[in-house]
Amino acid sequence: MNNAFHTTCLSICGGALALGLSVSSVSANEWPTSDIRLVVPYAPGGTTDVLSRRVADLLQQELDANVIVENRPGAGSTVGTGRLARGGRDAQHTILMASPGHTIGAAIYADLSYDPVEDFVFLQNMIDIPNVMVVPADSPYESVIEFVEAAKEQDMTFSHSGVGSSIHMSGELFKTLTETNMTAVPFAGSGAALPALLGGDVNVSFENMPTVLSHIRSGDLRALAVTSAERSEYLPDVPTLSEVGEYNLDQFITTAWFGLIAHSSFSEEAQNVMHDALDRVMEREEFLDFAEQLGAEPGQVSGDAFKQFIVEDLERWEGVAQQAGISQ
Amino acid sequence: MENFSEVIAIFFSLDNFIAIAMGVVIGVVVGSIPGLTATMAVALALPFTFSMQPVAAILLLVGIYKGGMYGGSITAILIRTPGSPASACTLLDGYPMAQQGHAKKALKAALYSSVIADFISNIALIFFAAYLAKIALNFGAPEFFWLICFSLTIIISLASGSMIKGLMAALLGILLSLVGLDEVYGSQRFTFGNYNLMDSISFIPLLIGLFAIPEIIEFYRKKALPHIKAKASGAGLAFSELKRCLTTIVRGSLIGVIIGAIPGTGATAAAFISYSDARRRSPNKANFGKGEVEGVAAAEAGNNGVAGATMIPLLSLGIPGDVITAIILGAFMVHGLTPGPIMFQENLSLIYALFMGIMFSSIVLLLVGNVAIKYFSLIADIPKSILFPIVLMFCVYGAYAVNNDTFDVWLMLAFGVVGYIFNRAAIPAAPFLIGFILGPMFEDNLRRSLLIGHNDLSIFVRGPITWTFIALTVGSIALALYRFISARRDARNAAGKSQQE
Amino acid sequence: MATPHSKRAVRIKDAGDVFAGIVLLCFAIVLVFYLVPNYINEPPILQNPMMSPRWLPGIVGWLIVLFSILLILQGLLLDRSSEEDERSIEKGTTRRFVLMVVALVIYVALFESMGAVFTGILATLVLFVAHPVRTWWVYSLAFVFPIAVTFIFVKVMNVPLPIAPIGF
Repeated sequence: MNNAFHTTCLSICGGALALGLSVSSVSANEWPTSDIRLVVPYAPGGTTDVLSRRVADLLQQELDANVIVENRPGAGSTVGTGRLARGGRDAQHTILMASPGHTIGAAIYADLSYDPVEDFVFLQNMIDIPNVMVVPADSPYESVIEFVEAAKEQDMTFSHSGVGSSIHMSGELFKTLTETNMTAVPFAGSGAALPALLGGDVNVSFENMPTVLSHIRSGDLRALAVTSAERSEYLPDVPTLSEVGEYNLDQFITTAWFGLIAHSSFSEEAQNVMHDALDRVMEREEFLDFAEQLGAEPGQVSGDAFKQFIVEDLERWEGVAQQAGISQ
Repeated sequence: MENFSEVIAIFFSLDNFIAIAMGVVIGVVVGSIPGLTATMAVALALPFTFSMQPVAAILLLVGIYKGGMYGGSITAILIRTPGSPASACTLLDGYPMAQQGHAKKALKAALYSSVIADFISNIALIFFAAYLAKIALNFGAPEFFWLICFSLTIIISLASGSMIKGLMAALLGILLSLVGLDEVYGSQRFTFGNYNLMDSISFIPLLIGLFAIPEIIEFYRKKALPHIKAKASGAGLAFSELKRCLTTIVRGSLIGVIIGAIPGTGATAAAFISYSDARRRSPNKANFGKGEVEGVAAAEAGNNGVAGATMIPLLSLGIPGDVITAIILGAFMVHGLTPGPIMFQENLSLIYALFMGIMFSSIVLLLVGNVAIKYFSLIADIPKSILFPIVLMFCVYGAYAVNNDTFDVWLMLAFGVVGYIFNRAAIPAAPFLIGFILGPMFEDNLRRSLLIGHNDLSIFVRGPITWTFIALTVGSIALALYRFISARRDARNAAGKSQQE
Repeated sequence: MATPHSKRAVRIKDAGDVFAGIVLLCFAIVLVFYLVPNYINEPPILQNPMMSPRWLPGIVGWLIVLFSILLILQGLLLDRSSEEDERSIEKGTTRRFVLMVVALVIYVALFESMGAVFTGILATLVLFVAHPVRTWWVYSLAFVFPIAVTFIFVKVMNVPLPIAPIGF
């Protein structure tokens, strides 16, 4: 108990002091020369925010510099991302936690002020979260095939957490690939969407894994499939959509990815320091535990491979946005 | 209970108490600063909880939540600047009270009703969580739609003075709330190509602008009057006054509990519903909006009743009802806990330890609140010529801090001018606010219902909950009409009589 | 109206209400006929008119038209002079008012470029002068508060504020 007490005190008081009052210490490296800003293009409290604060916490231990989280929400993630794209004098010390909003936003907003690929350097994909195709527990559909066959006969509804979310776009992608009748029902965030699904007001959803994992385990929701390339270790009995093999679903491989990006002028040296630091962060026990609690897999790609991944993600969502008529 | 000792062992550790106490203190202080909301404080505290014990971590965040709920009312009462959205309703009567030299009384009334409501809300959480959670699950889009319709009728009772102006203000509020991306199709509405408007108008700058800034503008338009050095903070709350408000507080708390248990409505709406309900029933109806203790009590009971109850859908269903509970859900997950039915099976002693902590936080709130009042009420004695420039500075900093954007500073000042014009034209700001909050909920749930029901209108009358709220809505409008007509007839009779004489 | 008083030729009872009504009426007409059709995109396929993003704005617009007409009528017919008294205030000097506007403009124009500390100090000083505050030591508060609050926001609570050019 004494130990626990210490931890608490240290984390509250010490944390505030260390984060707040200490002047950033300059390390042996040339970079970083000042505090680093980690921009979160969403409001506080979402997955992106929670993840960013965890990463910032670990990163500042590895970098020997303060990492300050800054929320710049708005219009999907495009307001915060747009500001990063403008560069400016802070660009050498600003990084951003990008997520599917980065590519989906670019796919649905026609008059974006920046290029989602060329204006940035791509540092590290931190985690991947699969989406899960879930139906209410009393739903008559036991498998993806059954669901698709029924959806060809009658109009189905799927809930999502907002236009342009990965949940919404996954639903639209499913609708496009299987050529079924599905109506999107929007909610303000996953929290508001869940009761409609649990209560059976909508037929299906393609929710993020962490949101629905406990409901699947408790039997309130039934998982029909996961959207990642391979089965999730958290739901080993649930097939992937690409396993289904019919109705073009072999093309359905998406995850909600989260990764750090910076302005295209981000120096070579800074990139190297960041790569090293992020490699160490991703090996940390705390990070792996955190990823596990989110039901996430640690990210696989960094640098050019991450960029290539973004290019492909962008292409897919542009196609879906066009087909679903939600590009503006 | 077999694992009672385990519960005690989990709960009675020093760091839990420290976490609660620090949480409440941080919450009260941050909540009282305009623009810095409890939501922001909870998000900022989140990283510090990573290395704490799970119970202490959650209790720290819950403490901040509760402290912030109360803290918002302090500046609302003293300087007409709601520290958090939910306290906007408190200022309707709190600020006039402070102006009349009853600042301390208003603050005490706010504190005691907050604590009582908090307590009732906690009781509901502990004993009726399972039952209330079931209601919450039956609350789909059509039920929500009718709840919003019913809530909209409170505009009628908030429109003091001219009914036309009150309804006009509500309409303007609805109109402004529609700026941004449409929720169903994502089409832009009135954004005029401005990226800052895409995510709709931020609530905090609007709130500060509408209430605090006009007061400052007014002060500098008026002739400079010498500051009368009086003990403006005034006397405390007499027990008889608290007793008079008690039924209002209990009713407000219950309204808060029900609203809180339904994910997605929020404390602000609960405060206004409780306030208008109290006003409708009170014998001092005419004094509402002019500095009525009962008004402060009703508003604070409503918004604090929500705090414990939002934990109901979170703990029993794993559904966060608002942004704060979403962050708390994040904190649970960081510690490897997933709220929901499973947690009640696997971590029951932890849940009971949490309950004890949550109950304890009410007591801490009472203590911390009393200390806070002692010092904060001194603000009421500062001459406005010194206070207002500093308040303005806080407002600007706070508005910027919401989204880290200068655009919100501009928005706030623009709403300040709008609020000033409202004041001059005697258009009440409260209905405007209600319209702004409820407008999008009305539209979204209407369209959501149509989507879910495949355009079949029968979904709007699908069950007992919808019928209940339809009846309440119709009854509320009928009552207002009846009162309006009978007031007219009385006035005419009186006029006729005076003519005859 | 039964009182003999009101049988005289129509007199505007509340010029403010009439004016407000006319302004709102004009606004609502612009809203319904120009803003709604031009600034809200409608999706090509709609299953139900109520689903349209233009539906609620349109309804609200027409209701504002209705209520502004009622407001004008009310201003023309109903005597609300008692309420008018509450609204009137004793005006201060023009200098006082103008300096307050200057302070607001300082925040609007300089906050981003000159930083929170600088604009905070400047605007607070201007407002103190506007009143005018005659206690000399109060002016030191104009320096203490912006610096202290910015420090607390930025360094203790990690809530960023623009601090250029006076960075610390």
